[in-house]
Amino acid sequence: MTAPRLRSLQLRLAVRLAALFIAGAAIIAGVLVWRAYDTADTLADRELSLRAADLAKYVATGPNGTARLALPAALREAYGATPDADIFAIRAGDGRLIAAMPDTFGSLVARWPTTTEDASYFHLPGLAGKTQDYYGLGISLDSAAGPLSIWVARAMGATALVHSMLEEFVLDIAWVIPLFMLLALAIAILAIRSTLRPIREVSEIAASIGPSTTSVRLPQANLPSEIVPLVTAVNRALGRLEQGFAVQRQFTANAAHELRTPLAIITGALENMEPNLEVEKLKTDVDRMNRLVEQLLSVARLDAIALDVSGTVDLNDVARDVVATFAPWALAQGRVLAFTGPDGPVPVMGNAYAIADAVRNLVENAVAHAPPRCEVTVATDAGGAVSVIDPGPGVPREDRERIFERFWRGKGAPSHGAGLGLAIVAEIMKAHGGAVRVEDGPNGGSVFTLVFRPAC
Amino acid sequence: MRILIVEDESRIIEILRSALGRAGFAVDAVRHCADARAVLEVTPYDAVILDLGLPDGDGLTLLKDMRARGNAVPVLVLTARDAVEHRVAGLDTGADDYLIKPFAMSEVIARIKALLRRPEGALGALLRSGNIAFDTIGRDLRIGETVLVLPRRESAILEHLMRRAGRVVPKTVLEEKLYGIDDELESNAIPVHVHHLRRKLMGRGATVEIHTVRGVGYLLVEGKA
Repeated sequence: MTAPRLRSLQLRLAVRLAALFIAGAAIIAGVLVWRAYDTADTLADRELSLRAADLAKYVATGPNGTARLALPAALREAYGATPDADIFAIRAGDGRLIAAMPDTFGSLVARWPTTTEDASYFHLPGLAGKTQDYYGLGISLDSAAGPLSIWVARAMGATALVHSMLEEFVLDIAWVIPLFMLLALAIAILAIRSTLRPIREVSEIAASIGPSTTSVRLPQANLPSEIVPLVTAVNRALGRLEQGFAVQRQFTANAAHELRTPLAIITGALENMEPNLEVEKLKTDVDRMNRLVEQLLSVARLDAIALDVSGTVDLNDVARDVVATFAPWALAQGRVLAFTGPDGPVPVMGNAYAIADAVRNLVENAVAHAPPRCEVTVATDAGGAVSVIDPGPGVPREDRERIFERFWRGKGAPSHGAGLGLAIVAEIMKAHGGAVRVEDGPNGGSVFTLVFRPAC
Repeated sequence: MRILIVEDESRIIEILRSALGRAGFAVDAVRHCADARAVLEVTPYDAVILDLGLPDGDGLTLLKDMRARGNAVPVLVLTARDAVEHRVAGLDTGADDYLIKPFAMSEVIARIKALLRRPEGALGALLRSGNIAFDTIGRDLRIGETVLVLPRRESAILEHLMRRAGRVVPKTVLEEKLYGIDDELESNAIPVHVHHLRRKLMGRGATVEIHTVRGVGYLLVEGKA
């Protein structure tokens, strides 16, 4: 399994910026913390050095000739107040212990190597039964009583105060950093969105392009310059497609003319011939051919030319016209056509010729399937639907999807017909944003219903 | 009866000429708009059959010119179906009727006869269908050898059905015709008149029949006794 690729430019930029900002925030916070601790340590070191120098200042040669520490009262009090926190030991150049506090530290340093003029730092884990750790330095200093080795140390717990103050400070900063980064990220995402908005608008226009709107071109205004070449290329492609559609349309129109004229000639010539059985058969064949050519052209037209379905059509008018036009033909087949509908008009959005064509195909099918002397009814509904009701055998449930496929023919269907009629109906309804459905008739047979969008 | 065919397809001219000739019409044919204009200037035709796609122009333009010059000859337009869809508005400007290619020759003759039967047409006086004949001026109906005079409303209905024999005449059209005669038309007046008319036709052995197309209107068909 591979991780899903991020297809959205916006998401991709946002994710990368977020990663960048998180890394940035972590680095800045880390550096700040490190610098703060470093500074604290430096401060502690400096304090220790100052204290060592301070102690050296108060070492002097006593009346008996030995060096001794004479702390002023204030200092002695300060050291006494925190006997465990601040410790020190002073040894003379000859190794003699001058002063120590506490004494255990004095005996400890006696075993340590002598100090140098450069401060050497040490870490003392525990001292004489006390658990706390000490951190300190040893240094060689000059005093009134000659060179001295001085060690001063402070309990780690005492520096903890400084550290906790630092931590608090750092945490305050660290809090602000991610917040600031989030804000920056939000601003960045908003900026990306507003940059991409013209692209989204162009996409919406592109989404509306169909066979009926081949003349639409995508606007280039406000687009980021990186996208403009893409849009230009798409527009050129649309231009070529539009040309292709025009060629197709021209072909359809030419084919219509080229096929119809010879068919009209054959039809006419047959009618002029002395009627006999063979001529009658040929007439039936030519009729079938006429119908097939017409249906094929209907299909080609629906494929190539987008129907203009923007008109307002009165379904009652269309249905009544189809019934009037095909009633004589149905009568010749021994069937009766009828129309029922509401009194007022039934306005729908659509193309009157295409709707008539759809109803005509349904009527032809219904007449072909209805038993002789039966009535086929075309009924309109005030809600914007027209139904063709036949008393034929009906459509088996399992065939109800497939009958709308091109060239599909049911078992036991009459041999005439190419299986295009219902496909044409389905295409016409698709172009209208409507639907065709087939149901059982009220007294057997089938009901084909075309449902349209009502006119606004 | 003299008919002009304006059509560029020679085979169609041939067939139309032969079919119309057998129906008793004298037929002239031209292949170009220019020729048609020239012929129409000098010859009074009773009807014109006009193809829309002509080599030197559009048949509709020719039609408009004819009408603009005051030529009121009935015109039957022949056209491919696509053309109807795009030009039906144009047809309103002057064509009297149109037929879609491919068409049945019998339909052409029926339409031409219907055009000629119009009140201003050349066949205005006598309408025939099957074994019945209706005199539009004398208003009497002949069924076989029987002659009978119909009530005004029934004869008006029959005249209209016969003028458009084989085609459905909407009930609304019949109602309009009767409004001129009868100001207070009851809602079931037409069915009642048609019922009477049917009984008279059947009772006297007419070979035409009036069918009801429920919800639309009526049509008169030949050949069923």
